[in-house]
Formats: sequence, C-alpha cells, structure tokens
Amino acid sequence: MKLDLQKTGNKAAGAVAMVAAALLVGAVLVMISGNNPLEAYSTLLSGAFSSKQRVSELFVKLVPVMIMGLGISVAYRAQLWNIGAEGQFIIGSIAATAVGLYVKLPPVLLAPLTLLAAIAAAGGWALLAGFLKVRFHANEVITTLMLNYIADYFLDFLVYGPMMDPAGQLPQSAMVPEGIQIKAIFSGLRVHYGLAIMVVVFILTVLLWRSTLGYRINLIGQGERVSTYAGVNVKRTILLTMFISGAVAGVAGWIETFGLQYRIMENMAGSYGNIATVVALLGALHPCGIAVASFFFSILLVGGASMQRMTNVPYSIVDVIQGLIIIFVIAGIVGQGRKTVKRAGRIGKDA
Amino acid sequence: MEELAVKMQGITKIFNQVKANDCVDFSLRKGSIHGLLGENGAGKTTLMNVLYGLYQQEAGDIFIHGAKAEVDSPLKAISLGIGMVHQHFMLARPLTVVENVMLGRKSRRGILLDTKETARELQTLSDKYGMGVDPYSKIWQLSVGEQQRVEILTALYMGADILLLDEPTAVLTPQETNLFFDTLRQMRDDGKSIVLITHKLEEIIAIVDEVTVLRDGKMIGTLNMDESVTKDQLTRMMVGRDVLFNFKENTRAPGAVRYCLKNLCARNAKGVAALKNFSLDIREGEIVGLAGVDGNGQSELCEVLTGLRPLDAGEITLDDEKMANRPPAYFISHGVCHIPEDRHTTGLAMNWDLELNLILKCFYKAPFAKHGLLCKKAIEEYWEKTRAAYQIKANCGGDTARSLSGGNQQKVILAREIESEPKVLIANQPTRGLDVGAAEYVRQKLLNTRGNGAALLVVSADLEELLQLSDRIAVIYGGELMGILERGADPYQIGELMMGKKQEVSVCEA
Repeated sequence: MKLDLQKTGNKAAGAVAMVAAALLVGAVLVMISGNNPLEAYSTLLSGAFSSKQRVSELFVKLVPVMIMGLGISVAYRAQLWNIGAEGQFIIGSIAATAVGLYVKLPPVLLAPLTLLAAIAAAGGWALLAGFLKVRFHANEVITTLMLNYIADYFLDFLVYGPMMDPAGQLPQSAMVPEGIQIKAIFSGLRVHYGLAIMVVVFILTVLLWRSTLGYRINLIGQGERVSTYAGVNVKRTILLTMFISGAVAGVAGWIETFGLQYRIMENMAGSYGNIATVVALLGALHPCGIAVASFFFSILLVGGASMQRMTNVPYSIVDVIQGLIIIFVIAGIVGQGRKTVKRAGRIGKDA
Repeated sequence: MEELAVKMQGITKIFNQVKANDCVDFSLRKGSIHGLLGENGAGKTTLMNVLYGLYQQEAGDIFIHGAKAEVDSPLKAISLGIGMVHQHFMLARPLTVVENVMLGRKSRRGILLDTKETARELQTLSDKYGMGVDPYSKIWQLSVGEQQRVEILTALYMGADILLLDEPTAVLTPQETNLFFDTLRQMRDDGKSIVLITHKLEEIIAIVDEVTVLRDGKMIGTLNMDESVTKDQLTRMMVGRDVLFNFKENTRAPGAVRYCLKNLCARNAKGVAALKNFSLDIREGEIVGLAGVDGNGQSELCEVLTGLRPLDAGEITLDDEKMANRPPAYFISHGVCHIPEDRHTTGLAMNWDLELNLILKCFYKAPFAKHGLLCKKAIEEYWEKTRAAYQIKANCGGDTARSLSGGNQQKVILAREIESEPKVLIANQPTRGLDVGAAEYVRQKLLNTRGNGAALLVVSADLEELLQLSDRIAVIYGGELMGILERGADPYQIGELMMGKKQEVSVCEA
C-alpha cells in the first residue's frame, strides 16, 4: 500500500513536471511575442474563474474532454492506440441525432434509444479498426486516424445534404425535439446535466479497472503471448476493448449534441479528440489522473480565450502548450521504455 | 614462478548500489585453463566483462602479462590479446563465417575485400585445432556447436592469447562437449590461457587446472585442481552450504496413462514442420524427461500440448478428453499446467504486479472475483500466503515481476502452476538460468507434483537434471521421437539419440 502511494506520487510528479516544462516553454514564446508571461498566465487562470458564466463554461468543456479521455484510456491500457475518438464522437452524434429526428416515439423511450444508437454506432466505428487489426494486422493508429477523416467528411455530407436543416441555410441539421434534450442545470448558464453522466462514466471506469474484464484488458496490454498463455482470447478482447473505447466517445458525442447544440453541425468535434488523447496520457491512464488532467485542460481552453481578449497574447499559445505537453508525455513514455530495456539488458548480461 | 597472463586485484563493480564484484582477486596463469565457478548472479560474468572492457570497475587494478592496463573498451581488450565468447553468440546469421570474421576489420587490400586471404588463414587456424570449420559456410547453416567454434576461431584470429568463455557448454551435447574440451586442451598446450565460466561441477573436474569460486560477488577461494578436490567441497564453496544431489527414488509406481499423444504433427513459427508423427504416453505419477539439442521441436511440442500452437494432425487425449486444437483456456480448465520456456514474454507479465501475476489463470474464479469484480483482499492474502510458502523474496505484492531475480520469478510461476493441482504439468526448461539453490528447489517441487499423481513432461537442456528427475527419458531430434530410455540410462546413449541416431529396438509403446 505504501508503495502504491509512492508509485502514484511518482506518476503525479512526472505529470506536473511535464506540464511545468510546457508552461515554461510557452512562457518563452509569450516573451518573444513581446508580452509578460506572468501576466498572461495569471489572466488565463483568473479568466477561467472570473464569473459564473466562465465557471459554467469550464464544466461545459470538462464533460466531453473527460469522457473521451476516459474512453481512450480503456484502449490505451490494452496498448491499443486508438486515436479515433474524434471520429467515434462524430459517428455517435450523427446516429443519436438521426434517431432523435426521424424516429417517432414518446420522449421517455426515444431518449434512451438515442443513447443506445450513439453507443452502438460509435462502438461499431471503433470496432471496425479493431476488426482490421485482428483480421489483417492493420495498425490501429493508421486505421482509427483514417476513420476520423471518413467520419468528418460524412458529417459534412450529411449537414450539407440529406440532414441539412430544412428551415435554414447553415451547414447543420434540424434541432432534436425538446423532450429528449439534456436540460441545463441552472437557467441562464450552459452547464447541463451531462455533468451527471460524466460522473457516471467516471464511476463505471473505476469499476471497470476493478473487474475481471478490466483485468483482461490490462493483461492484453502486457503482451499477446502472456495473455494467450493465461487462457485469454486475445482477439475477442481486442474487439471488445475497441468497442467500449469507441462507445464511450459516442456517449460524449451524444451529450454534446443533446446538451449543448441540440443538432449536429460542421466541425462539431473541434479539437476534443486530440485534447482527450493528451488528457488520457497525462493522467497516466488512471481515472483520477484523467479527471485532474481534464480539469487542467478545461482551464486552459476557457482561460485561454479570455487571455486572448485581455492581453495581446494569441490563443495559439494554448495550442502550443497543448502540443508541448504531447511531446513531453511521449518523450516521458519513450524514456521510460528505454530505461526498462536498458535495465533488462543489464540484468540479462549479468545473469 | 610461472608468468601470469592476467592479474586482477581488488576489483569492485557496483550496479545500483549492489556490489556485483566486491574486492575480487583473480589470477590466470599463462598456458592454463582456469575455471570460474559460481551460482548465477555470483558475479562471474561481471568480472570477465570488466576484464574485457565492457564494464569499468569502480576500484581495483588489472595487469596483463605483468603490465598494468586500463581496459576501457573491448577494442582495447582485443589489442591486449583478450578474446571473449559470450553466452549469446554475436554472429550475423545470413553471412558466411569468413564474412563474420571480417566484420569491422580493415581490409588489407584497401577498398577491396581480402576474403580469400582471410578464409585461407581461418582454414589453417581451424585445421590446427581440429575445429572443422568451413570458412565459406553460412552461419545459419551451422549447428550451435559449430557456431561456437566460429566465435572462438574469430577470437583466435584477432590474435587472442587470453580467451574468456562464458558458459560455453550450455548449448552442447555430451559428445560435442568432449570434442570441445579436446580443442581447449590443445589450445592450452599451445600456450593460450583460458578462462571457463561455468556453474557445472563436472566440467571443472574434467578439464580445469585451477578454479576460482565466487559467491555473492566475493571471491571465496582459488584451488589447484588435483585428486583431493571433491565435488562436495566445490559445492560448499559455491553455495555456502550442502546441497542434496540425490533425490529420493520414486516410491510410487506410475499409474494409468494420463496424457496420450498420438502421431502429432505441427509446424513452427516459420511454417516449417517442427513435429513429425510424435507419439508418447505420459502416465500419472510419472516424469518423462525430454532430451534434445535446443530447437529440435521441444518448444513446439510444449506449445501444442498446452493449446498454444495449432496441431496439423494427430490426437491428444487427457484421460478420455480429446484435447487437440482446443483453445488454451480449455487446457487450463482441464488441469494442464505449463511452466513456459520464456519467463519474460510468456510466463509473466513483467511490468505487472506480482499478486496479479499469481492469479493469471484463475483471476475470474472465487475467491479472487465476485460478481465480475476483483476481490483485492483475497488476492493480497493469497499472495502473502504463497510468498511465505514458496519463500519468494519480494517486498510486496504490488512490486512488478521485473523487479525480482530470475529464481524468484520462476518461483512465482511454479507456485501458480503447482498450486492449481495439475493433472498434467508441462515444464519447459524449468531451471534454466537459475542458481543451484533455486534449481534444487524447483526440482524438489516437480518431484512433489509427481508424488501427488500428476503426469509431468520435463524438457531440459541439462542432461544431468533429466537423469536425476525422470522416470523415463524421451529423446527428440528434428521433431521426431528417437527413442525412449528407462531410468538409469547411459548419458552417452542419450547423446547419440540427441544427434539423430535412431534407437534400433524401439521401446516406444504408443
């Protein structure tokens, strides 16, 4: 138990160091742009909490980032590098919206049906990559990435074509009926009950890692040989893992559509997919770590906007910091791997 | 006083605060064969790596032919006339022998290769020591024994007169070992000085002039080998206590056939036939040893017998159950346990907690799981109980498997496989890389498992071990069963079968 705490402490310290390094490099860039980094960062931080609206926005951003981060972490634990959260998010949104718009049922039945549609479609979308991996050994990094483009353009096709709102000229669908929308928690603020669903997803993820299914998923991440040896059906577990990972992203899409926009529209996923990947890695694939990292990124997103408004620092700095964190996280992972290999090599020689 | 080829004084080498060598003195007389004896992890290889310039010592001095030398790289070592042959060969397999020797050397013909000249010189050298190496054959075509001779030849060609050999006989059959020892004697008589790293006492007694024993990184002593030195004496120096060499005879006669293998055919990872019509019966309460030179189908057999490799033809019957081509989980649930050859990629999830590794095959069963959720308390308790029972040296169950020594890793696997009360236990190289104490422990556990009525197949490259453990010894060569020998068989006869000479009167009753 003591060691567990120590391990967690080490990981947290690593994450903090990465973020600090990214902020430091970001500060240099702010200086180059002729601004005071301290001022920029303090504006960023205070900007995120300065009003009710801002705090509400913080949670609006937190919901999709954290849910998708959790979803991605499921695949990453199995060493399945699913970077297709964006596509899965989109496909989930499309399916839910289509069901919400075109299926005529009382809201009590329709609402859960839209959620199921999102889960099935997004899970199936990720499953496609899983199938290609299991059947043809196709690298899931490539397939999930490519599936993002397909989902993106499919969305464009729909909102400019068959699903375009008949009442308008904008690239977006019609609004889903009010009865199946996710309600705002406080009137006048955008933050909605999707927040509660986020908490449910968090709890489910925690439970997953305590379950035998979670054991299997973690085990295939330890290696195919040892998993097969343990009697685990590796192919089936890969498929299941990809489905879960995609389905969770689909849930995020469903919440975003039904809680915020009430419709699908061009570019609706924004950079959530990328941020969720960073959040999952920065949080060391641990639910609590992911929660903290998601919160941090929400501050960056909301505060970054007010930083741009209040100072001359461009919002791009936030993107730069995000990119730097990715680089540091990956460098950290690779460095860890090399250290392990080196140590193993030495033990091997010495034996 | 004779001249010393090597003198190492007060060598200390530290890895991560652990003293791998602690103030070790070592002297190699010119023109002698010097054994370096010790358990795994005693620091033998480390000491020789320091001499060869692969590691730098924290303290101590090295003298080569009486002159103080700073050996800071293998290149320097080679220029001082030191050659080393590692346990794992450093040869480029697609290239020929002579091309391998020429690798990394300057050609004497400028930008053109001096292949012919080098090949001629190699041939001369090979003939001189009766090594029978053809400079133009490709490495992958050579047997392991021949590859080893290529390594030695390379060292000699580089001008080595001090040869460091790291566990050279681990991969050889008894016949090959004898041949190898002849070569070593010839080289010694030629004035070469040789260090032979080993943990096999028989070899020390057979060939060595002097022996230095290391234990836990410390030098225990150096002996001149003569008639007065006994195996027991060396063992005590090596282990620090007495070791049982003779296990009790099997008090219980083997029973009915438990695991019946009929005409098994399978291919290896490259798609080449690895098992050809292999038939064998293993009875309950019996250990069948499987002897053979590495890579003759042993690993494929073990994989087929545990469901890890598909079978092309043949039948496997466990009691009355047809097992062929069932998934691994089916084998596991029917009591077929497996100590795999490779601890690192197969037997353990190296970066995972020990307690999770321990329940690898029963994590979904009570008491470890209830309603699909893992029961952390039960898992922790089971780990504590097992750790105590198997004397696993680890801080806590949350440590990674990687953090343990090889012997303790093997204990974790052993505990997991044996505690599930196997009907059949397939053990592939269960003591490879373990020190004497840990190997003894593993063997004792295997015997206990037999005593409990399990049918065991034990694959080992160590013939001594097979002779000690097995009720019968089956010999495999090129994926075929060469013959089955009863207990008390002559090692020489086994050696002949291992090299592919089929048994004339087949005792195989399958």
